[in-house]
Amino acid sequence: MADSGGEVGGYHPHHAQRAVCDSRAKYREGRRPRAVKVYTVNLESRYLLIQGVPAVGVMKELIEQFALFGAIEQYNALDEYPAEEFTEVYLIKFQKLQSARIAKRKLDERSFFGGLLHVCYAPEFETVQETREKLQERRRYIARTTGIKEDKVQPMTKKKLYKEHTVSKDLRNDFHSKASEFCATPSNARTEYPWNYQTNSWNSAPCHVSSKSVTSQSGEFLEVTLISPQHDGNFKKTMSSCNQNNSLIQKIEMEIPKTSVDCLGPPKVISSNTGIARFMPRTTQLQERKRRREEDRKLETFLETNPSNKEIIIGPQLPEIPKVDLEDESLNMSANLIRNKLKEVISPQLKPSEDKLEDTHISQPLKQRRRI
Amino acid sequence: MNAKPRILPEGGRLQYLQKLVSEFQETTSQEAKEQVLANLANFAYDPNNYQYLRDLQVLDLFLDVLSEDSDTLVEFAIGGLCNLCLDKVNKEYILQMGGIKPIINCLSSPNEETVMSAVTTLMYLSTPQSIEELTALPVVECMLRFSLSANKRLSNLATIFLEDYCSPSQVEKAQNLSAHSAVGIPLPKD
Repeated sequence: MADSGGEVGGYHPHHAQRAVCDSRAKYREGRRPRAVKVYTVNLESRYLLIQGVPAVGVMKELIEQFALFGAIEQYNALDEYPAEEFTEVYLIKFQKLQSARIAKRKLDERSFFGGLLHVCYAPEFETVQETREKLQERRRYIARTTGIKEDKVQPMTKKKLYKEHTVSKDLRNDFHSKASEFCATPSNARTEYPWNYQTNSWNSAPCHVSSKSVTSQSGEFLEVTLISPQHDGNFKKTMSSCNQNNSLIQKIEMEIPKTSVDCLGPPKVISSNTGIARFMPRTTQLQERKRRREEDRKLETFLETNPSNKEIIIGPQLPEIPKVDLEDESLNMSANLIRNKLKEVISPQLKPSEDKLEDTHISQPLKQRRRI
Repeated sequence: MNAKPRILPEGGRLQYLQKLVSEFQETTSQEAKEQVLANLANFAYDPNNYQYLRDLQVLDLFLDVLSEDSDTLVEFAIGGLCNLCLDKVNKEYILQMGGIKPIINCLSSPNEETVMSAVTTLMYLSTPQSIEELTALPVVECMLRFSLSANKRLSNLATIFLEDYCSPSQVEKAQNLSAHSAVGIPLPKD
């Protein structure tokens, strides 16, 4: 025997798969055919030996399979172990004996990449201390679970108490082992599909960023996309004004003058292009702005030379497009004048009165309202 | 392994175990005996079955089989005892029935599983009353030799036995004894 149980890592008779027993009496037949073997605490172990792994570089997959049943403390291939041709032998050490038990039960005799796994306990890899702990664990387990039985003669209430006590303990154990399994599973999944996770995050990240920028910069980007490129000449101005007045209150204040500014501004046909808010890289934005500014300038000159375009389209105002800085000293000045005047006169109405418009369009070319 | 809801009703388990015991006693087939005994020994692993096994006097059955000639039967019987001897009631019963002696005899079995089950069973049977008998000089001497075995499982168990259950003076005594006489219990064969 001393020879057979040679060095650690070598072949041991208890690794051999025993012949399945096919002569059992009918009433003793189990669900799965099994050999005649008695398991004791000596035979079980946190170490599992896995034979019959096809030698096609599937260690990662193998470990992942086993990690489904609990945390694995260490694993390695046993190169020197006598293996069948084209197969490999692996050693896996679980953190908990219970994990090893379940893994063995679930994965023994399972096909894996075209091979049939043979999983057995490998207690010969245990150190003295590990064996000692294993024996003590069994001692504790029995002490825990047989607490009831020793008190069978005790009165009912106490018995019940004991029973409840142990049951809850058992449940907790059960739960604990299950929890550890669950714990193991997601972490495993993460390692299993790191790329999926990453691509997901990359996919979602731009969306997130875009929506954030849309909201945080108080509608700038919304404007970018909502206003058709040819007609939003004052986009840039708007933006700068926005930047100047960051606080909400200021913006609200600006809503009143805005109407007047609209009227004061150079006449523009701002069509209601229902664009979709989408993310644009910054460089594109800059180019786009530049292009619009140029277009706007053209349009301005065109409108100025085309006085027939004085029709005022009145419709619900688009909210919150404050236009303050008109980038022209005289324009700004008159805008301020009118703003102050309006502050005295007007109460916050959505619809500016005809008079005002008439008032303003005497001095300034009419600016058309956006129609929605 | 822990208390899961059993599919079998309480009576079902007892009836089944009863059937096994009956078949073991009645059958003339060695094969069937081995299968049934292995079955019973594996049932002895689960504390839920201890009461039934006591009711059916399976402990006596295991102890009886230790004196059988069949290597396999002895291996299964000591495995069964190893599985159930931690329970206080079972432990007291085995000690009361004089179980230590046949178990110590298992240490000289040629079957390594039998030897290892015996070592563990002896450790699990230790009580203030039984410790003296368990750590008799021949046993300690035996463990000393096992601790040098190339079989890691056996040497681990023997080391634990010597470190945790024997006093240094006992070990020393056994060392002196084995130094004088090379004769001892032979190491088990494969």
